[in-house]
Amino acid sequence: MTLQPDDFWSFNEWLMRPNSFLESALLQGLVLIVLAIVLGLIVGYIVSAARYGPVEGFYAVARAVRELLLHDGPRTSPRRIVALARLAFKEAIRRKVLFVVGLFVVLLLFAGWFLNEESRDPARLYISFVLTTTNYLILLLALFISTFSIPADVKEKTIYTIVTKPVRITELVLGRMLGFIAVGTLMLAPMALLSGVFVKRGLDHVHQVETVEEEGDGSIVGTTDYVQGHEHTFRFAADQDQTVTNKVRGHRHVVTKTKNDDGSYSFDFSGPVDSLVARVPLYGEIQFYDRMGEPKNAGIDVGQESIVGGYSSAGVSRLIGVAQGPRKIEYGYVEGGTLGAAEFTFGGVSAERFGNTDTLLLDMQIRAFRSYKGDIETGIHGSLTFKNPDKPIQSEPIAFIVDEYELDEQQIPVELEIIEDGKTSTGNLFEKLVSDDGQLQLVLRCTDDAQYLGVTRSAVYLRPAEVAFEVNLAKAYASIWLQMVMVIAFGVMFSTRLGGPVAMVSTGVLCVVLSFFAEQIYDTRHYIDIGQERGGGPVESLIRLVKQDALTTQLDLDSTTTKVIKTTDAGIVYAMDALATAVPNLPKMVETAEYAASGFDIPVALVGRHATATFGYFLLAFLISYFLLKAREIAA
Amino acid sequence: MDSESSAAVADRPENQPAAATPAAPDVASDVVIETRNLSKIYRDFWGRRKVNALKSLDIEVRRGEIFGLLGPNGSGKSTTIKLILGLLFPSSGRVLVFDKDASETSKNEQIGYLPEESYLYKFLSAEETLDFYGRLFDMPGSLRKQRVDELIKLVGLSGARYRQLKEYSKGMTRRVGLAQALINDPDLILLDEPTTGLDPIGTREMKDLILALRDAGKTVLLCSHQLADVQDVCDRVAILHQGELKELGRVKDLLKVRDVTEIHATGLSDSAKDEIAEVIKRHGGNVESIDNPTATMEDLFLNIVRESEARPGARRVSATSDVAKSDAAGDAADHGSGMGDGGSDS
Repeated sequence: MTLQPDDFWSFNEWLMRPNSFLESALLQGLVLIVLAIVLGLIVGYIVSAARYGPVEGFYAVARAVRELLLHDGPRTSPRRIVALARLAFKEAIRRKVLFVVGLFVVLLLFAGWFLNEESRDPARLYISFVLTTTNYLILLLALFISTFSIPADVKEKTIYTIVTKPVRITELVLGRMLGFIAVGTLMLAPMALLSGVFVKRGLDHVHQVETVEEEGDGSIVGTTDYVQGHEHTFRFAADQDQTVTNKVRGHRHVVTKTKNDDGSYSFDFSGPVDSLVARVPLYGEIQFYDRMGEPKNAGIDVGQESIVGGYSSAGVSRLIGVAQGPRKIEYGYVEGGTLGAAEFTFGGVSAERFGNTDTLLLDMQIRAFRSYKGDIETGIHGSLTFKNPDKPIQSEPIAFIVDEYELDEQQIPVELEIIEDGKTSTGNLFEKLVSDDGQLQLVLRCTDDAQYLGVTRSAVYLRPAEVAFEVNLAKAYASIWLQMVMVIAFGVMFSTRLGGPVAMVSTGVLCVVLSFFAEQIYDTRHYIDIGQERGGGPVESLIRLVKQDALTTQLDLDSTTTKVIKTTDAGIVYAMDALATAVPNLPKMVETAEYAASGFDIPVALVGRHATATFGYFLLAFLISYFLLKAREIAA
Repeated sequence: MDSESSAAVADRPENQPAAATPAAPDVASDVVIETRNLSKIYRDFWGRRKVNALKSLDIEVRRGEIFGLLGPNGSGKSTTIKLILGLLFPSSGRVLVFDKDASETSKNEQIGYLPEESYLYKFLSAEETLDFYGRLFDMPGSLRKQRVDELIKLVGLSGARYRQLKEYSKGMTRRVGLAQALINDPDLILLDEPTTGLDPIGTREMKDLILALRDAGKTVLLCSHQLADVQDVCDRVAILHQGELKELGRVKDLLKVRDVTEIHATGLSDSAKDEIAEVIKRHGGNVESIDNPTATMEDLFLNIVRESEARPGARRVSATSDVAKSDAAGDAADHGSGMGDGGSDS
């Protein structure tokens, strides 16, 4: 997975955006809440003024605010919230929503037929299957239970017996939301457990030995049988009793050798190891150098890895038009046989952090660009050089051949050849190459003339640690849980005013359609802003569609009409842009699953960001629900 | 009312103001509900006027009385109750309940409301229902448990307390509805068509309960179009028609026919009747009829049911003299039955 700039942000960077507060999540949240309050007051005033006249209307709004601050807010009783939450919970349970868990079990049972264990990366397939399935099932469920409950209460008038008790609207809304969250949690927990078991069991397999050959020096080389579409090879040195097989499809097996009475050997294979890992990467800062060795912001663009999108990380600043264009990261290339290089600076490197290991784990996901075909079988060569950022000390270049489309897992010995003052000697990487403040530099070059290597910041990283697969899966499910909370909050919000089906569609449009198409809306706005012909807004697109005009040609209409259309379109697109910026970034949350599927540890900062955003939107939906329900004539 | 159930209603000193009797003098604080120029216009989505449901209603309900809102369907009775509860917002005018605006939530602490039909959650059992509504009053657990037990006994649902309401008959649902209206031991009870859907026994029990509530110092506001109910229990009534107040006053005063005199007597011979007629004529009166009275259908029905409970089996259908007997028996038994013993509609 290629990480974008905002994926590297720590929680604090995301919340505050040091030096560019306009882009910060905090500002966006505050603006949204303030906007909701101001708009709420205006709409509330218009409605009350229509009902009671302009002066009385003002007092009605003032009373509502006073009521919230003096009575409904402070007198909200936890006992009543719990009572209402329990009611919502019982309602859902007695309407047999647990059926969904059953449905999930059935899906899992049949999934075995369709999930191909022989794929190149079965772990990814299994994990992403369970996460995607649970994700959408839970969101759908949240949508249904949250949007149909209050409208049913109003329709069946059961709400009469509730609101004629000393129940505050705050309690009514919170009770619903919390009750449904409890239901969702009750469903999600078994699904998460089942998923974990399913993935582990699905990937589990053992091999038998197929061929064994003793070599002259006493070492033993063997191959395994063919299971789940693959086989392994292994090699015992003369005095070894245990070894690991080679890595195929992301896993290895531990092989143990025992000598039988008749002098032959028998081999015992463990289950797959390393197949379910959650790598904790240590990313560095990247700096490109061009062919003359001059520092550059980006690598060479080899074309078609075009930079579109990446606007959504700009927060309010993009909305008010002060963001500087797109900021999506694509691969940048380094020219071979020149001074061109990509230099990564890793911080916080120490022997302790890497567990005092004797091999440093370095993962690379590097792309190649060939300006001539060359010998396609040998691949493109590159070199790695470790450097001390403060002193003129560096390692001997380590050569490698680019593994295109594969994760290249390098094991760098900690004791390596080091060049210091023009002399080469064996030295310790941590002692010699890491600066006093824990920084280590890695320079990546392409050694084939006129061939190119492509990297991004997330393409090369050190691996100081791993976390348990179960922990990572739990984090992935936490993210799904947060999405569910978000959908429930908005579902309840819409259902305070709208009928069940309408509320469901509204929540769906808001949470799914708008947020999943947000990038397209931002793109459209960007092209309108810079005046580039890209098909324009909705009206222009419709006209082009009917007239079968190409997107990049000038609109073939007279200038006044064009102007009217363009202005209308700009208005619509800007409004959609504002709306898309306001809605929760659900796709980003869904993307969290990608970390687990790719075998990366889900950063705690990311879960924290999602949790904070969810809490903010929950608060917003709660406030809006409160005013909507307060202003509603229940019996009308 | 048996002694236990009346205790459930009466013995609750904490919320009860000092000795509020029906005969208490009219002080401002004794007005429990006050509507001032209350009007309600129903509008459609576009704000166009659809129905003028209530026009300038001014009524006062005083502490400790049973106040009836009377009128045909669509006369504005239910609208008035919903305005009092804050379920509807007035188009103009105000409603004050315990001197608070009807839109204030805190007034509900002292109110019990039995809706027209029992709008309860069908997936809860009677016990869960009452416990839930008890929680809404922020009642602590021990008090809640005690109240729920008392009320389930009071409305006679002890045998069905763990069954979900969807299995209940209409009468039983009504009882749960009543129990939830009383869960907080309210000072003011609003009953929307309290006897609708009840059989005569249930109706009788409901009326007895309403009287018992009044005797316990509660204020009751009920609306109904069943005139017999209103006549039996209400102290004062307001008669509404097409959203307008047509009549307001004490039931006794309103129903008194001032120029007709009624004499009830037993054991008179025909000659004695003639003599009485003679006396009336002599005093310038006009004898309109001298006849044997007929009982009401309600009395007859109640009497038959009681009789069959005492002596099961087919009843011998007899001549008219039975009716007179049943009338007397009905009177004697009138206040003897509580809500507790009626299981006939389960």
